[in-house]
Amino acid sequence: MATGTPRRKARESVISVCLLAVLFLIGLGVFLKQSRYDKTAFAPPTAKPLSQQPQPSTTAGPNLQVFTPNGFKALSEPEFYGPDDLYEKINGKASLYLDSNFRRLSARRFASIDSPELWAELYIYDMGTARNAFAVFSLQRRPDTLDLFHFDPSFAYRTENAVYFTTGPYYVEFVGSSESPQLTNALVAAAPGIEKALPLDEPARIDELGLLEAENMLPGSIKLNLSNAFGFSGLTDTFSARYNIGGQTITAFVSRRTDSRDARTVAKSYHSFLIENGGTLRAASVGALQGNVVDFYDTIEIVFAAGPFVGGVHEADNQQAAENLAAWLMKRLSEAAERKD
Amino acid sequence: MSKQSTDNSGRRQFLARTAKAAAAIAAASAVSRLAYDPKGPPGQPHTRKLVTVPDFSVDRQPGQTMSIVKGPDRAKNLSRAVELLGGIERFVKPGETVLIKPNVAFASAPILGATTHPQLLAELVRLCLQKARAKSVYVTDNPINDPASCFMLTGIAAAAEQAGAKVLHPRNELFKPTTLSGGKLISNWPILFRPLEKADRLIGIAPVKDHHRSIASMTMKNWYGLLGGRRNIFHQDINTIIAELAMMVTPTLVILDGTQVMMTNGPTGGSLSDLRRADTLIASCDQVAADSYGCTLLDLKAADLPYLGKAEAAGAGTTDYESLEPKFATVT
Repeated sequence: MATGTPRRKARESVISVCLLAVLFLIGLGVFLKQSRYDKTAFAPPTAKPLSQQPQPSTTAGPNLQVFTPNGFKALSEPEFYGPDDLYEKINGKASLYLDSNFRRLSARRFASIDSPELWAELYIYDMGTARNAFAVFSLQRRPDTLDLFHFDPSFAYRTENAVYFTTGPYYVEFVGSSESPQLTNALVAAAPGIEKALPLDEPARIDELGLLEAENMLPGSIKLNLSNAFGFSGLTDTFSARYNIGGQTITAFVSRRTDSRDARTVAKSYHSFLIENGGTLRAASVGALQGNVVDFYDTIEIVFAAGPFVGGVHEADNQQAAENLAAWLMKRLSEAAERKD
Repeated sequence: MSKQSTDNSGRRQFLARTAKAAAAIAAASAVSRLAYDPKGPPGQPHTRKLVTVPDFSVDRQPGQTMSIVKGPDRAKNLSRAVELLGGIERFVKPGETVLIKPNVAFASAPILGATTHPQLLAELVRLCLQKARAKSVYVTDNPINDPASCFMLTGIAAAAEQAGAKVLHPRNELFKPTTLSGGKLISNWPILFRPLEKADRLIGIAPVKDHHRSIASMTMKNWYGLLGGRRNIFHQDINTIIAELAMMVTPTLVILDGTQVMMTNGPTGGSLSDLRRADTLIASCDQVAADSYGCTLLDLKAADLPYLGKAEAAGAGTTDYESLEPKFATVT
């Protein structure tokens, strides 16, 4: 049964002791490590420390250097944001873009070489389609501003310190740090170059705009709500515009649906929504609008279906003026539907 | 023969031991596999490490809870508004440490009104250091976008430092998790706690702004900048989080700047045409009351902002600011 010499046994004993020592050290290491066990490391994720938060990428996206206005230089590195981290750049306004199918924001600041206190930040929002870009453009459009007429179509305007425009699927803001004419003029001058440099995949044609345009429409008042227009979730893809009717400002709207049946369903749903939330029916002086006029907390709402369109008037103070506008819109939408047929 | 027998015995022994060792390893592996929990322990909030925001409020004095000053000059308005409440000495004692929380949310120019105006901040620092003889004044905020750019381009860093305050940029080690008692959203959530912990007084100072999500951003919404983590998830329940912030933070004083009000396209704005001059500044020990008056500058009523009602119901202040008998003044 002897398995070795005493010398070999001694060697085996030494090796065994060494192995046991190694095992002991491993055990000690595990013990020490687990004694510093942090439960929060295993808690359901609540918040990441700053170092683990997604940081804006500075390596991807278009080369914003080419958009540098004449006489300016880059003041910051380019920044790029997607739907997951847009809020890091614009915080509470992110939802406005996300609701309009935002894809990507590229941004960079530029400063005047001669007057470094004059700086501006360029924001290029890729919204995926011209329709989406128009939606965020229109919802933020400042009233009483100057159009930039060299754009076609003219979805472009300037204010005292900034330039705003859409081109294809892009919505662009170039925001200056002051109302210095030197700065704003540089931004205006840079806008056409930016427009030309951005790649366009589709023509910026939005058919509904023509349905709302009229002489008495207030310039720049057309808005596009892609969702939840007037607080009603069923009213999507809705264009609205404001009109001067006999000195009063009234809003009309139109939403193209998949077909006439869908339009009737949506119009009926919106009508029911108004009644269920406190509205009352009013008799209409225009026969075609009978049953479509609702008094909603002392303002007039009108909704109807005309072919594949849902149309109407929103929050009017004067019923007669509202009916006149609604009748005009109904006629125009019916004609458009007939042409389509 | 004897040698061969010994060799056979050794070989058998070796095979038997190897088989036993293999069986032992297999058994141990099987037990380990059965006991292995790939998800790990469910985890519980580490209550021992949670912190609570100190109470910085001062005793209310009848008729000296809220002041509203009209005038074109922010600094003069602030000085007068604080004077009407009993002077800065009521709020800051000599030798105390003051923490000021401005709105530095964006890297935008002061003229755009998206952030606290540097001129106003400088005047507040001056009042604390020179008039009240505070030991030190710290200025902090947690803008998600690059803090260094935000503090620099808003003019806040330069204004604070020139007036003698120290600017604290958010760093990981300044955050600690907190849970708001009775809160629904603030649970084991990191906040910018270290500066709060070291301060004797806390003053919030914010502009009046339109806000796409919460309708209006004023002094209560300004505490949002104390939150760490991916706080954008709270935008889904914006009214509750603002109300909870007002429950969590009991400031010494809040300053609401309505000199130029961002009427549209908030909270970022971007165009000067988004702004309207209201030439109004509010100082208040009651943040709910301050915001309830402030929203009128946006052509809103307190009832239009659900978070005000929630905060009032939770005892954070009153929307009936007139009940506080605010003091009015005009500074030309």
